[in-house]
Amino acid sequence: MNKFKTLSLAFGAAAILLASSCSKNNDDPTPEASKLTTKTIADLDGASKATVYFSLATGAEVTGADTASATKWDLKFKSTSIFTNGGTSGTGTAQAQVVSSTFEALTTAPTADYKTDATGAPAISGWYTYTAETAPQHAILATPGKIFVIKTADGKYAKVEMISYYKGNPNTTTTTFADLTTRPASRYYTFRYAYQGDGTTSFK
Amino acid sequence: MKNILPWVLVLSTSTAVYAQRDTTRKDSTKQLKEVVVTGTRTAKSLQQVPIPITRITSEEIKNRGLVRLNEVLSEQTGINILDDPHGQGIQIQGFDPAYTLILIDGLPLIGRSTGILELSRITTNNIDRIEIVKGPTSSLYGSEAMAGVVNIITAEPAKGFSGGVAGRYGTNKNADISLNSSYKTDKFYISGFANRNSSGGYSLQPASGIPTVSPFHGYTLNGKTAYRFDDNTSLKLSVRYFTNDQDSRFSVDDSRFASGKGTEKDFNIAPVLTHRFSKKDVSVLQLYRSVYKTNSDIRYEDNNDVYDQTYFTQTFNRAEVQNDYAVQDNLKLTAGIGGQYETVEATRYTKQQSFTSGYGYFQADWIPVKKLDIIAGGRFDAHSVYKSQFSPKLAASYALSDKLTILGSAGKGYKAPDFRQLYLNFTNAEVGYSVFGYEEAKAGIARLQQEGQIETVLIDPSTLKRLNAESSTAFNFGFRYKPVAKLYWTANLFRNNISNLIETAAIALKTNGQSVFSYFNLNKVYTQGVETDITYQLFKALQIGGGFQYLEAYDQDVLDQIKAGKVFTKDPETNLTKALKRSDYGGLLGRSKYTYNIRLNYNEEKTGINTSVRAVYRGRYGYKDSDGNGIVNRDDEYTNGYMLINASVSKLFMNNALRLQITAQNLFNHKDPQVILNLPGRLIYARLAYNFNKQ
Repeated sequence: MNKFKTLSLAFGAAAILLASSCSKNNDDPTPEASKLTTKTIADLDGASKATVYFSLATGAEVTGADTASATKWDLKFKSTSIFTNGGTSGTGTAQAQVVSSTFEALTTAPTADYKTDATGAPAISGWYTYTAETAPQHAILATPGKIFVIKTADGKYAKVEMISYYKGNPNTTTTTFADLTTRPASRYYTFRYAYQGDGTTSFK
Repeated sequence: MKNILPWVLVLSTSTAVYAQRDTTRKDSTKQLKEVVVTGTRTAKSLQQVPIPITRITSEEIKNRGLVRLNEVLSEQTGINILDDPHGQGIQIQGFDPAYTLILIDGLPLIGRSTGILELSRITTNNIDRIEIVKGPTSSLYGSEAMAGVVNIITAEPAKGFSGGVAGRYGTNKNADISLNSSYKTDKFYISGFANRNSSGGYSLQPASGIPTVSPFHGYTLNGKTAYRFDDNTSLKLSVRYFTNDQDSRFSVDDSRFASGKGTEKDFNIAPVLTHRFSKKDVSVLQLYRSVYKTNSDIRYEDNNDVYDQTYFTQTFNRAEVQNDYAVQDNLKLTAGIGGQYETVEATRYTKQQSFTSGYGYFQADWIPVKKLDIIAGGRFDAHSVYKSQFSPKLAASYALSDKLTILGSAGKGYKAPDFRQLYLNFTNAEVGYSVFGYEEAKAGIARLQQEGQIETVLIDPSTLKRLNAESSTAFNFGFRYKPVAKLYWTANLFRNNISNLIETAAIALKTNGQSVFSYFNLNKVYTQGVETDITYQLFKALQIGGGFQYLEAYDQDVLDQIKAGKVFTKDPETNLTKALKRSDYGGLLGRSKYTYNIRLNYNEEKTGINTSVRAVYRGRYGYKDSDGNGIVNRDDEYTNGYMLINASVSKLFMNNALRLQITAQNLFNHKDPQVILNLPGRLIYARLAYNFNKQ
């Protein structure tokens, strides 16, 4: 008897949840099909230049005059700093925040609490740990669970996880990596991201 | 005149030389009659005392060729010696070294560096035994006795004129020399002890030119005298002085070195008056003063500029009266009151700081029926700076038979916020962060604000909650089993719930991007496990033994966060984030889940040859966080488990008066130069000891 009670309760709860999530979707002003693109970018080269610009919409590096554009780039990598196209970093209106989650579990972008880059206070910070004297010494290791959510200059949402700061996305627990003479070159950014082209906050 | 006469008589009539008791005989049946004092502050039989307690005799220590406290404790079941830049401290039941009280003859040693009392400061050449109580004993000793108590009981002189000399020398120019002499009559004794301990140090990275442990030399002087006025009244005075000089050298950056000298001094004096009002009623008045000082002057080698000059002076003063009253044969009451005054003055404190505190304790030891022993007690500590503490304890042992005793106890322990947590006023010159003790936070923030160094105040210092003592509730349950005279087996299950752990947290951000930290009662952790030890006399000459501990030590807040899916790690192969599972969490840093030891002692009485071999295993433990989640979870965050083999062979000569000994520590030369800095590799020593007694 109890089993049935539990079951019916579970069904009831599931139904309510489904209904409420459906109704949310129905409220959405742009109920078109999801335009989600998920990509992993390997070894974006920030070593041969001071800064490297990247567009989430095209999934490619941005160079030349486009780096002055308000919308043609979204992320700017400079050594261990990552900037968004807005505020003190660019001419656009991009904003971002860092969310504690796995990449997969973050299925909806937050609607509030985005920040614009300001002097000494970029919207994206705390994404890495500097090991200092602890082995592997003097390494920049991407901190787990730091997912950047970016609201681009043209109002699209994306989530980004930094994977590696070193060429070839090496295993950082090996002796090869620990040894500074054999450690791969730094400022080669590997990251994965999901870009929602339909303007919704959904990452599904 | 009356007193001098026997003195003269003794000297003129006795010519025979007797060896002082330095026999290597290990009588396992003795354990039944053995007496311990640390668990209850009264003499109790080891078999009956209802709390977990270990007793290490001087004889055992000598057979093993050991001379310093860290060496002795590292071979004990359920104890780990931790490797830390601030010294070698002791871990009991998963607690950090700051939570174990170290006593010499019942009086606390002071002088800790970030909570660690360097154990190699203490010589074991002049002791009778060491008693180790596990589980909180704050009900008798107050603060710090949260994990347990280690009590070093110094030797009482034998009657007549005695003396001895002992020396040990070996690897790394480690030298330890002791001299002792004493004179005792029925009414009076005086004894003196001197020890010199030195080392050439060692380097685990010889190419760097930087020593891992710098050369040092230290002296311990210890004098004791006692006089018995009559059958009921006696007075005892003990004085101890320790000093140690250490040279240090380290690299400041790639091309610059700094070096200099550090000095450490420790002085204790304790007069004790004992008076027996009746057969049933004894009072002990104890005064104690201890002073601990360090001084260091480190300079750049190239231009002799000051790199770091520090000093630290701590004093501890106490007066205490304890009264033991036997209401009936089966009910003994113990009560005591005391007052303490402590001061500290140091480079990193604004001014001299002081504490005053008063306390009272009470204990009833009741044996309602022959087999059952119940001990109930508690202690109240009132303090000038932090909240008062009450620490109760209830313990019972029950003899199921002559062979098997079960015991259980529940009690509270606490550790007061230390001077550092209250008064530190420190700004790191190189990196630029600041740390303020709770009492300094308000003034410190205000000063930095005035200087325009504060960007944002995260927590208004006026809203800070008063720093409270860390506290624990603990449960111990175990047995002592002696089915036959040859076998002795003990086991203990333990659980410690610890709350209000004091941790640092940021209270403000500075304009230089660094933080200002202060201390808070934050974490809740627990430790639990089981410890067991067995000794078996295989045949007359051969004794074997072994000990084992299983330990879990977890931060409750981390467990809650893992449950909520808020703790992450990176897969080392792909560097992708994944949520951490409960089973991946390795618990607190520096805690080995498994430790064990195996011991063997072969003693041939006829030839006086004693061989002792010990294997001590310490399982892997977390020592760092490399994936940035602040906890131990990934394989690369652990050390490898390791085993140390220590062995010693000795032979007695001249009717047991002379002992020659060879000792090896870490025989198979295990080293882990990146992680474990207190393992210099194999150490070989030769030791010679001579003792005499003229009655």
